[in-house]
Amino acid sequence: MDYFDRLEAETNHLYEIANEARSKGLDVETKTEVPLAKDLAERVEGLVGPEGVAQRIKELEKDMDRESVAFEIAAEIADGTFELTGEKAKWNEEQRCDQGLRTALAILTEGVVAAPLEGISDVKIKQNFDGTKYIGVYFAGPIRSAGGTAAALAVLLGDKIRQAINIDEFKPIEDEIERYVEEVELYESEVTNLQYSPTPEEVRFAANHIPVEVSGEQTDQVEVSHRDLERVETNNIRGGALLAMVEGVIQKSKKIKKIANKLGLDWDWLEEYSKPKKSDSSDDGGDSDVALEEPKYIQDIIGGRPILGYPSEKGGFRLRYGRSRNTGLATMGVHPATMALLEFLAVGTQLKIEYPGKGNCVVPVDSIEGPIVKLKNGDVVVIDSVRQAQKLKKDVVEILFLGDMLVAFGEFLRNNQPLYPSGWVEEWWIQLLMRSEKFDKDNTDLDLHALEYDYLPAVEAFRLSKEYDIPLHPKYTYCYNDVTINDLNGLYDLLDASKSTYKPEEGIKLDFSYPKRVLEVIGVPHIVRDGKIIIDKDHSYALLITLSDRLPERKTTIEALNEVSPVKIIDKAPAYIGTRVGRPEKSKERLMRPAPHGLIPIGNFGGSRRLVATAAKKGSIKVEISRRRCTNPECGISSFGALCPKCGHPTEKGKPSMKSIPLASMLKKASDNVKVRRVDEVKGVVGMISESKLPEPLEKGILRAKHEVFTFKDGTIRHDSTDLPLTHFVPKEIGVNVEKLLEMGYEKDCYGNPIESEDQIIELKVQDIVISDNCGDYLLRTAQFIDDELTRYYGMEPFYNVKEKSDMIGHLVAGLAPHTSAGVLGRIVGFTKALGCYAHPYFHSAKRRNCDSDEDAVMLLLDALINFSKTYLPNTRGGSMDAPLVLSSRIDPEEIDDESHNLDIFERFPVEFYEETYTPHKPADVLEYIDNVEMHLGTPEQYEGLMFSHHTSNIHAGPTVCLYKRLPSMREKVEAQISLAESIRAVDQRGVVEKVLSSHFLPDIMGNSRAFSKQKVRCTKCGAKYRRMPLTGKCSCGGNLILSVSKGSVTKYLEISRDLVNRYPVSHYLEQRLEIQEFGINSLFESDKSKQSSLDVFF
Amino acid sequence: MSTNKILLKFAKKGINLSPEAYERVVNAENPLNFASNLIVKLKSDKFSSKDLVSVSGETVDEILGVKQKAESSNQETLAADVKPAVEKEAPKKEPEVDKTPQKDAPKESEKTGSLESFKKESDKTETYVNKEILEASETIKDTKIKFKRNEQKTNVQYDFKIIQDTSKKSYTSGELENLIAYFKSRYEKLANILSKRPELRNYTKIADIDDSQDSLSLILMVREIRSSKNGHKIVEFEDDTGNISVLFSNKNEELFAEAEKLVRDEVVGVIANKSDDRGFAFGQEIINPGVLRIPEKKMDFGIVFLSDVHIGSLTFLEDAFQRFIDWINCEFGDEEQRRVAEDVKYLIIGGDIVDGIGVYPNQDKELAIKDITEQYNEAARFLGNIRSDIKIIIAPGNHDASRVAEPQPAVPEEYAKALYELDNVEFISNPGVVSLDGINVLIYHGRSFDDLVMAVKEFTYEKSDDIMEEMLQKRHLAPIYGERTPLASELEDYLVIDELPDIFHTGHIHINSYKKFKGIHLINSGTFQTQTEFQKIYNINPTPAEVPIIHKGKYRHFKFL
Repeated sequence: MDYFDRLEAETNHLYEIANEARSKGLDVETKTEVPLAKDLAERVEGLVGPEGVAQRIKELEKDMDRESVAFEIAAEIADGTFELTGEKAKWNEEQRCDQGLRTALAILTEGVVAAPLEGISDVKIKQNFDGTKYIGVYFAGPIRSAGGTAAALAVLLGDKIRQAINIDEFKPIEDEIERYVEEVELYESEVTNLQYSPTPEEVRFAANHIPVEVSGEQTDQVEVSHRDLERVETNNIRGGALLAMVEGVIQKSKKIKKIANKLGLDWDWLEEYSKPKKSDSSDDGGDSDVALEEPKYIQDIIGGRPILGYPSEKGGFRLRYGRSRNTGLATMGVHPATMALLEFLAVGTQLKIEYPGKGNCVVPVDSIEGPIVKLKNGDVVVIDSVRQAQKLKKDVVEILFLGDMLVAFGEFLRNNQPLYPSGWVEEWWIQLLMRSEKFDKDNTDLDLHALEYDYLPAVEAFRLSKEYDIPLHPKYTYCYNDVTINDLNGLYDLLDASKSTYKPEEGIKLDFSYPKRVLEVIGVPHIVRDGKIIIDKDHSYALLITLSDRLPERKTTIEALNEVSPVKIIDKAPAYIGTRVGRPEKSKERLMRPAPHGLIPIGNFGGSRRLVATAAKKGSIKVEISRRRCTNPECGISSFGALCPKCGHPTEKGKPSMKSIPLASMLKKASDNVKVRRVDEVKGVVGMISESKLPEPLEKGILRAKHEVFTFKDGTIRHDSTDLPLTHFVPKEIGVNVEKLLEMGYEKDCYGNPIESEDQIIELKVQDIVISDNCGDYLLRTAQFIDDELTRYYGMEPFYNVKEKSDMIGHLVAGLAPHTSAGVLGRIVGFTKALGCYAHPYFHSAKRRNCDSDEDAVMLLLDALINFSKTYLPNTRGGSMDAPLVLSSRIDPEEIDDESHNLDIFERFPVEFYEETYTPHKPADVLEYIDNVEMHLGTPEQYEGLMFSHHTSNIHAGPTVCLYKRLPSMREKVEAQISLAESIRAVDQRGVVEKVLSSHFLPDIMGNSRAFSKQKVRCTKCGAKYRRMPLTGKCSCGGNLILSVSKGSVTKYLEISRDLVNRYPVSHYLEQRLEIQEFGINSLFESDKSKQSSLDVFF
Repeated sequence: MSTNKILLKFAKKGINLSPEAYERVVNAENPLNFASNLIVKLKSDKFSSKDLVSVSGETVDEILGVKQKAESSNQETLAADVKPAVEKEAPKKEPEVDKTPQKDAPKESEKTGSLESFKKESDKTETYVNKEILEASETIKDTKIKFKRNEQKTNVQYDFKIIQDTSKKSYTSGELENLIAYFKSRYEKLANILSKRPELRNYTKIADIDDSQDSLSLILMVREIRSSKNGHKIVEFEDDTGNISVLFSNKNEELFAEAEKLVRDEVVGVIANKSDDRGFAFGQEIINPGVLRIPEKKMDFGIVFLSDVHIGSLTFLEDAFQRFIDWINCEFGDEEQRRVAEDVKYLIIGGDIVDGIGVYPNQDKELAIKDITEQYNEAARFLGNIRSDIKIIIAPGNHDASRVAEPQPAVPEEYAKALYELDNVEFISNPGVVSLDGINVLIYHGRSFDDLVMAVKEFTYEKSDDIMEEMLQKRHLAPIYGERTPLASELEDYLVIDELPDIFHTGHIHINSYKKFKGIHLINSGTFQTQTEFQKIYNINPTPAEVPIIHKGKYRHFKFL
């Protein structure tokens, strides 16, 4: 059976079990509430409907692209060509337009995100002042989740629908247009910045030309001055509408115009936005301004998140092009020794980076260069293993070089970042050798693999260079360009003076003097013994041969060096990447706060721990809930399930109200029912947040408590992890054996050999995932809970029968990202000790995530199928986000976010690519040298035969928890951050201290002391909030009020800041800023009376 | 004229002069003045304070509106041309776009056209002209007449008293109880004023309302304000016994207009009719604590008002300020202007004398002096040059080295030592009240303008005199809690205007305004800083270097640009 068929069969089996359990009528519905969708069309139908639309989408897809399909569907639904069935058959034109737009938007957003449900609040047919009709599209805040282009397309869809039902364009009046102009300005000043700040005339122009009304519900409590307009329902800011207009139509005007053209819609007026602006051309001074600006990643520095390298600073991470089996999709490789040395980097830790893009996630790759450090005794060592890093760590005084950062070409492509020159690397060198005219393919003397990866004596390296006329091997090429010609001449003089100590078999001994720094900076390993610098035979040979004479004056050091060197020397590190640590890695169960075992409303009767047993001690409690009522007129009793527990007739839902419920007897009955005595730790919720306020069965809560698992707001049990990509795995590293693999349908390793050992490299199937150890443990307990639920509550056979974590391999899960509403089917294939979830890039993309420190949830599929209910979801805006409203069972790379299409899948860049990187090309200009997923879409190769260029021996090498998470207090984190700044050559320590103060601590202190003097108060009893202290001094419920901003939050960084100012030479400016803040804080918290009296003691 | 001095001046501001441009500057009648005018123009409208600017001869002409002239144009004509050019900066009255909504006219015609054609004059805030100021203003022009002020030191007698100064009287410790006490104090102080009004003499507390009452007379603090579906105002009020909601119908225009001016947390008297629903009433009248006309006092001297000098900022108008100093020392201006200076006895600086440090993110990039003590030293250098027989009173603003929460204690000596060392300087809190030979002056920096402009539809930054009038009506300087103005929970609300002053002086918004209201002079004293980056974003056009003076009871307005 093929992989997908197998997954489908197993999925169907789980649906059968879930439906059988549901058929008992103990839940809200008698069927599972997660519809299955094989592809995009079915997903769209499952998410927004209408019934039968999947069929039509598939028909249209045969000879139309996706966008055209979406617009066609929108028109067909709106004008009635597509016949609605069931309840929707009676719908009027306006409702059909609404449905058409939502369905089409779902198609455009891959049927995954919640935007079609949550981002559009309404579509209305309204009237122009001249009596004609037009379409109004109402946007809501969550349109953000769709992205700018999709938001703009929603507007374009409105136009399509308008034409389909043959009504007029929207004709705005002056006040309505000016209202947009004002709202944009207000939004930026009062709410938050837009990605693009349009000029008033740009807004006016758009408002005037968009043929549908872009409106929306209010998103922020900010009033405009263009109030009470007849056609605009709210006087507050319409955030969703502004996003659609500004970050959508205006910002994406180019793209939208292209699409409009294709679809035959007349949006040519958008052209105005691409015209160069007058003001731009008038002063050319602007460009230099931009260049001087600091890169974004270093602008705000947070306490405890160290800077690892200043922008492009020498000694930071060196750019190396390539992809390992665990990188790509915004994840980049770093040597595990670097991670161990810095301690702030664990597998999955986020880095904010200078380029390409804004951030990435760090994973270990050990086939690239590790760090170079200087020890207390003066030795300079290249570290190439985690163990060595750990051993030397305490002796390190300076980190001279952080090692390589392996960056896939796809990252440059995705960010449209012009290329930076490639580092001088083995994989480039060996290809130059192979291309040499003197190279003879049939010559068996040369072991190419060994030349690339194994030890190569310096003498041999020079011989090869001379023989094949190629540049010197990277190992013996140092970072010469990082020093000046003068520096190298100093080194030459020192070498020359000590020439007599050189022995070919031992190396050279130099006097301890200033040029040692040059050796350190260019990265020549050496040791210091008895006041002498000792360089081993290979490196001393390389230096002596390369530096054959004093360098002449030339433009660059490398140019000068090539005048004296007998073989060509290439710049080893032409591009460094500045970075700083971002968000730490994460893998943790999803807990609401406080975390409930079941959705059992108990008001405040359960105390602060929300214990159901405590509430039950009251006997009966009064809470707001609803019950279901039996439809059998002779029975009519109330219950919580879909079927009447007495007569078995279906029930109907009742209205929520404050009801007295006999909790004690219900708890007793439920615990007897599932045969669990201990119920004193079962935790409930204060109240239901859903509209119906129908509670979950008590039994489920009791069983979850028994297995120590917690529920989320929708009844599912979830575990969250940082997303990490993986295209190949080694069975041993992820804890799966050959037998199990074969059972799961794996047959061959990535080289086509049959799977026989646990050390082979195997290509990961696209829906298989490697979960973290603690996720495995949690899902194991979840599985045990479900078995208990099946046997004790539903009276069925157990399904999982699992005892240990490894038993979970092969079981199905659903992955689900926040802001989306479609789960993606996955299968557990193994475990990682890293705090992250390794899965195929397609899997992450199917959830609309990349891997720059995004995190999302997995849940056991059977759990979602049995226990998830829409009934529990809140009916507030955004309530249906992050819920498995549909399950997408099969990943089609063509139907997922196109970010994954940029994934590099080849083993080697050609020589031409490396050469082209020396020109700052746009990545799209060098695509001819690249092989990526995009080029294989729609062919069998999209699923198989994806390769990588750099191997890594262990996908969870290096620390698994970064230092930021290990250190308990901010003080210690900052100490560690500063001492790291002191030891990394590419970082300026004083700069870091100043940045931490000026961009984290001082703003925090200022913000909080301002907030203190504007604060709200809160009732300790009922939780009510007051914008201002009431004159009565009490809550209306009689409870006591407390401050919402405490003294402590104002002063929390004061002491550590003072300490930093005292210990480090920070600018006087910062010192004074802190002093003034202290003065203000003291004035606020110390009564002048007490100051007076404390002085009195002295006089 | 020293060439170096001029070049240095430009260099300091990051301006590079071409030889032609330099030529035009040195050939001006008064090169130094010309230079500072040019710098102001360059920095305020065309370029940001951070730009490095290269200026050619044409640019100078263009900026100052000088038509291309023969190179040989003599100094007088060039100088003469400078004036009208500056005035040209006033709002250009180009054909106005019709702003009335044209409901029934579809605008197909407008759908064509380019983006540029959608630019509107209204994108630039219209410059509001305060009539009183227009009439009172005169530009200080040095006529180079031989004038010597009376150097013989008259033994000036000061009758200077500090009426209200909260410095070193902050008794809050930031506890919850302080917050309760603070609002109680506000309510009580204002209730005290209100209860003297005949309509409110027998006011009831909310809890004491009984069924027999039809009409209610209450003293209430505003909690929330909202609009009903039909556009009426529903205001949730409270006193120290409970809450009540009052509806103000939009049918009653006068009352509704009053209700529109209500802001959160102010205290007013309300006359209302009871409804069937307990806790809900129909408003009939809103009574402000209000102002009774005050009698005019005799005054035979002058008081000068400054604020927002922003010494230390790159956009501080040093030359104009120096001219101001020269004038006040009777060494600049025409004869009559110098005589006015001679009468000046007091100088009040209502906050932001320096630009401060760390007031907003990345402020250091816009500072010429990055050290707060140095900024005050520089201030002392200027103020120290003022003749010693003028008493100078300095209150803090949001840029000064003080706490941000109001009331702000006086600038502490440790930063402003140099100023403290001057014999004729007095420090006071913000707000503060002083009596100058019997004339009471209420000094308030004006942070709450930011909140009031947001809260009340009809208020604008340009017309701060209207807002000051409303503050007096409300008898509170910063009624709105929890927005931009941080309020310290002092045990007593010092922001209540207990006693009506003769002069009410504010600053903060950098736009001069003046109005006489019921005998009280309302003065906003503008600034000595050109348009800042922040103001540029919000389209706020300051009125720099314009100084208000109350001269023998009459308002005068001197321009130093």
